[in-house]
Amino acid sequence: MEQSSLTFRYKELERAWDGEKVYEVFIGPQHPASGHMRFIVRLDGDIIVNVEPDIGYVHRTMEKLAETKEYIKSIPLFERATIIDSNNITLGYVRALEKLLGIEVPPRARYLRTLLSEINRIASHLYGLGLAGIFINHSTMFMWGFGDREIWLQLAEELTGARLTHTYSIPGGVRSDLPQDFKDRALKAIRYMERRLKDYMKIFFNNPVTVARYKDIGILKKEDAKRLGIVGPNLRASGVRYDARLVEDYGAYREIDFEVPVREEGDALSRLLLRIDEIKISMDIIRQVLEKIPDGPILAEKYLRLIPPKLRKTMEETGRVKFPGLFASLRPPPGEATARVEMGHGEVFYHIISDGSPKPYRVRIVTPSFRNLLLLRYLPVGHRFMDFPAIYGSVDYFPPEADR
Amino acid sequence: MVCPLMGIVLVGNLEESARKASRWFLEKPPIRNLRDWAISFSLWPVHFTTSCCGAEFAAASCPRFDAERFGFLPFLSPRQTNLLLIEGTLTRKMAEAAKIVYQQMPEPKFVILMGVCALDGGIFHNSYNIVRPHELFPVDVFIPGCPPRPEAVARSIIMLQRKVRNSKYIWGDGHEPKGED
Repeated sequence: MEQSSLTFRYKELERAWDGEKVYEVFIGPQHPASGHMRFIVRLDGDIIVNVEPDIGYVHRTMEKLAETKEYIKSIPLFERATIIDSNNITLGYVRALEKLLGIEVPPRARYLRTLLSEINRIASHLYGLGLAGIFINHSTMFMWGFGDREIWLQLAEELTGARLTHTYSIPGGVRSDLPQDFKDRALKAIRYMERRLKDYMKIFFNNPVTVARYKDIGILKKEDAKRLGIVGPNLRASGVRYDARLVEDYGAYREIDFEVPVREEGDALSRLLLRIDEIKISMDIIRQVLEKIPDGPILAEKYLRLIPPKLRKTMEETGRVKFPGLFASLRPPPGEATARVEMGHGEVFYHIISDGSPKPYRVRIVTPSFRNLLLLRYLPVGHRFMDFPAIYGSVDYFPPEADR
Repeated sequence: MVCPLMGIVLVGNLEESARKASRWFLEKPPIRNLRDWAISFSLWPVHFTTSCCGAEFAAASCPRFDAERFGFLPFLSPRQTNLLLIEGTLTRKMAEAAKIVYQQMPEPKFVILMGVCALDGGIFHNSYNIVRPHELFPVDVFIPGCPPRPEAVARSIIMLQRKVRNSKYIWGDGHEPKGED
């Protein structure tokens, strides 16, 4: 394979590693960053020679546990992987399961899934931006990001009943319908957020101190991004127009008019600014979803028929789905299914193998943070030690998701 | 020589005697009340995230719920903190780090377990890679929930403050991590 400039720089600095002047710094697992992660950084003076991410601090053996649970019980399990983005990460599992079972999702349910996915994406990006702020000791950005995230969590709570662990998407539909006046409150939140994004630009992204920390730091070139298999906003900030929302046909994205933001620079600042662009696009999608959302059932006809008539009546009155008894032991036919979904951090991939029993034979998850982990090894090499938190913050790495 | 201080024998090693005298002084009611009052409003948790409940813990110390008004400020170094919050599942690899962090913290120190995973495994109860934190640390407050809401975190701080104000903890006794794991 043709070696890129990044690999050359890496090799060159690695040669200095053998010398005595290189010393090691252990960062973590107890450190001011998002935690559950250790880095072994080797420094030559103030220049980073080598970074070794030491992962596995949050390895809770989710894939193995999924083999011991019935299909429906794995939905709450997997959403603990990325608790800040829980609808997006479970949507991949639910879609793969629907492919196995051969169910069509009614249009209203597809729109509702898209609505919650975008609310989750905004909350996830604000979480990432807040942490990026605290990494370079900009506590205003941290407080603002986390404070404004609460607005979106509040919306998600009104829709689903839980702040973080929604368990909203179920095979064949969603768990609850839109509450009354949800549209007005969502539009109010969007208007507020648009105003706040201007403040963010003023205090963080156009701030000379912040720009000096982020600009031209940790540049990821287009060919390197492709070669290393990077996903999500980190890939799009390097000029590659790839998004699982465009590639896969899921949710209501085919019926909604939206642009995927792309930036060319590939440095830390552009990775952060791309998240701001994505928040804007997500708010536009929410607005369109609320306008275009069709009427109809929120659970597939096949399962609605299984619910007793009396329960079905209360279901229509309250807008909350009662699970049919069949859900306790879903038995998909033997086979395999895969699904991809775009999360806030990138693309998540699910592979389910079924052997016809109520429990899956194997569930494989490839999470975006695990794929973006390579960046933490390659990007900081050659930079000053001071730049390391800036790069870590810009990558938006979430350890429980990578370790599963 | 028997000192007039409540019959404490102060002979032999000077350092030992000085420690005994200072302990006696700190345990005497007006000083003790003042000390407990001061500790209860400076419960600083160490910045040590173990799992996904950290998202709700972060929300608790941020603008909407603002746990800082209870004198509760997450701080970086274990040497300057007195509260260890186990946020969610504790894996085997993380438990070693948690024990070291706990040992580095100065007395008096407190432990709060957050989330049902920290209590007894929760949804991961049959995982091969987790430990039960209550087997490792002497725990002061448990917060159930998966994840607990930020209000629950704030309530746990108030409960711990009440416990400290009522002198319900023992200084330097039984605060060593247990178990070999």
